[in-house]
Amino acid sequence: MISSLVRRAAPLGILACAAFSLLLAASSARAVEPWVWDTPPRFPLPKVPDDNPMTLEGVTLGRFLFYDARLSGNQTQSCASCHRQDIAFTDARPVGIGSTGEAHPRNSMSLTNIGYASVLAWANPLLLKLEQQILIPLFGENPVELGLAGREDELLQRLRDDARYRRLFAEAFPGVDAPITLQNLVRALASFNRSLVSHNTAYDDFFYRFDDDALSDSALRGLDAFFTEKFECFHCHGGFNFSASTTFVGNQFDEVQFDNNGLYNLDGQGAFPPDNTGILEITGNPADMGRFKAPTLRNVELTAPYMHDGSLATLEDVLVDHYARGGLLTPDGPNAGDGRTSPLKSPFVRGFSMSAQEKEDMLAALRSLTDWRFVTNPRHADPFQPAWCAADCDLDEEATLADVHDALAVAFETASLARCAPGDGNGDGAITVEELVAAVAGVHGGCE
Amino acid sequence: MPLVDSVRVAAVAVAIALAGAMPVLSQEGPLCPGDLDGDGQVTSDELVTAVERSLSGCDLQTVELRFRGRVGDLPFACGTTYENAGAAGSRWLPTDFRFYVHGVRLIRADRSEVALHLEQNAFQNGDVALLDFEDDSGPCSNGTAATNAVVRGQVPRGEYTGVRFALGVPFERNHVDASSAPSPLNLTAMFWGWRGGYKFLRVDSFVILDDDFPEFRVHLGSTGCRYGRPLEVAGCTRANRADLRFDDFAAARDVIVADLGALVADSDLTVNLPETAPGCMADLGDSDCDPLLRNLGVDPADGFPSPPTQKFFRVEAAE
Repeated sequence: MISSLVRRAAPLGILACAAFSLLLAASSARAVEPWVWDTPPRFPLPKVPDDNPMTLEGVTLGRFLFYDARLSGNQTQSCASCHRQDIAFTDARPVGIGSTGEAHPRNSMSLTNIGYASVLAWANPLLLKLEQQILIPLFGENPVELGLAGREDELLQRLRDDARYRRLFAEAFPGVDAPITLQNLVRALASFNRSLVSHNTAYDDFFYRFDDDALSDSALRGLDAFFTEKFECFHCHGGFNFSASTTFVGNQFDEVQFDNNGLYNLDGQGAFPPDNTGILEITGNPADMGRFKAPTLRNVELTAPYMHDGSLATLEDVLVDHYARGGLLTPDGPNAGDGRTSPLKSPFVRGFSMSAQEKEDMLAALRSLTDWRFVTNPRHADPFQPAWCAADCDLDEEATLADVHDALAVAFETASLARCAPGDGNGDGAITVEELVAAVAGVHGGCE
Repeated sequence: MPLVDSVRVAAVAVAIALAGAMPVLSQEGPLCPGDLDGDGQVTSDELVTAVERSLSGCDLQTVELRFRGRVGDLPFACGTTYENAGAAGSRWLPTDFRFYVHGVRLIRADRSEVALHLEQNAFQNGDVALLDFEDDSGPCSNGTAATNAVVRGQVPRGEYTGVRFALGVPFERNHVDASSAPSPLNLTAMFWGWRGGYKFLRVDSFVILDDDFPEFRVHLGSTGCRYGRPLEVAGCTRANRADLRFDDFAAARDVIVADLGALVADSDLTVNLPETAPGCMADLGDSDCDPLLRNLGVDPADGFPSPPTQKFFRVEAAE
């Protein structure tokens, strides 16, 4: 008893001191806090729509929504069910499985650098903004993903019943009477997605941080080969984001590219399986058969299985069976055919010979695009899991006095909850005295 | 109103229309006399309406078009199983029944047309209205408790002998941000995001077989949409809107029947083309759509209106 009092006394001393300075700084009007990108110099930034600026509050709200199973009709799935952080926001399945058990025709896409995508999804030229695309997993019916079509009132009521969401929405969208709307939910999810920026790969250390030792000789040889006319990879997977359908701040023209890579050829005329015809499904133009987006190759080591339908299990399969051959041969079954002879195939998929060393180099190059920081970064992680340290307000994996200051400001409601979401251990949208004590004690104890 | 004043009102409306959108003070009503629906724009329809009103001395009458949701001769009701539906005479359980109409016009005996200016409410916005026959009960649980079987608005007082309307959402409102659209364009069950627009018609159903209950859905909207420059939808290869016209219709006497039985009359509900949506979701390669589109008055070949093949709507004397 005595010892616990002693242990609490010291943190409370810090607390009183911090509270005093905070009261001096307190201001009655609270604005949203602009999002701070942590990208290295010269690394491009994602474009952000004028009507949905990036804020700490919006991103934080979006992170809660992204990981919340209340965002499915039967409350069994969240966005994260098909987009797991540990595997670069994919699901390790050939195709996604929705909340009602329905299989999606296509592979769950990585959300790595999704804010740079000039077009979203595998094959839909109409989806140019995350704010449009997000409506599809939420409300789409063919296939059912999160299964919320017709249930928007129920969804919003679930959120309105939650004190933490009431605060998070009000602080992300200040100055309106009823901020918990579908539009704001979509905006916040889009903001969280735009915050998923990956720039801590060996490749980035080499090119953006000038660390000459970041890349192995093998990876350097592989990257050189990647950008040659022998292997032709870069025509579809070029640029800093390793996808031709990439845009960024300062880019005047949003390039959107779809290609038929010769994965199938069911009829000798280039046909793809009927449930995966590429952008033909949207455009109705027969020339668009089998044309899909080349997704980013960042974190590709973690996103198996590959292709729009998850039909290739490993990167070796992709390199050897498919691209080196100049198109996949499917010997039998309903999809039988030789993609190499497809008349619709991109001229860049013409095949190449590859020595064992060249293959290893190419794989090393692809692995240099893996961002281990990205897949463990607490800022992208599930906020419903207990925080490693309730006092790590800014999720930088350090608990400091600045964190205590933030926790106090949130407790006194002079700062938005986004400044210290981990401090709200019980999820009631406030930092109580007990939670504050826990946070301060955590800092004092080094959060070990 | 003296004629000179009428002309002056019309001239003001023309001037405002030519000047483009005007700001709207939501608390005090439209600033702009010709902007009848308060959307900050004076469309050519509104302009014509304003001129007609001024010429008729602004003597308006309220008209209510009454719709009836039916399956054959029986009223549509959630939870009811209907016999002998479709080309194979199936037992059939429809579970959703909603559609949008727009561009409603009444027709005079001299065949001239007058726009019905819609009252603005949860089911009517601008010149778009949602007809909604499901009430969220029983197997219709994907729906809304509120139903709507009328389209209500105003026209200059006069004699009208016919009605015309379009099935669907008009192009200029079909490709907006659905997450912030006003009611009735904010119903997620009517979103058609993958296609970049709305479902114009939503019919969900189950076919009751001895050993199975396959789904049969009719989700119709525009397809083949594409962007232009600037980046907004510039057009769709298949609009899939129907143009309905009934020359012998009196709102006080008649109802407009929307008949699901007629919609599926030429479809074998027990068969679905493999690798396509159950029923028809307006996929270009889904031939299950063809008889359904024809019965809606849409040409399956190009998505243009095809009034002669239309069977879905009919006019009957009110019971």
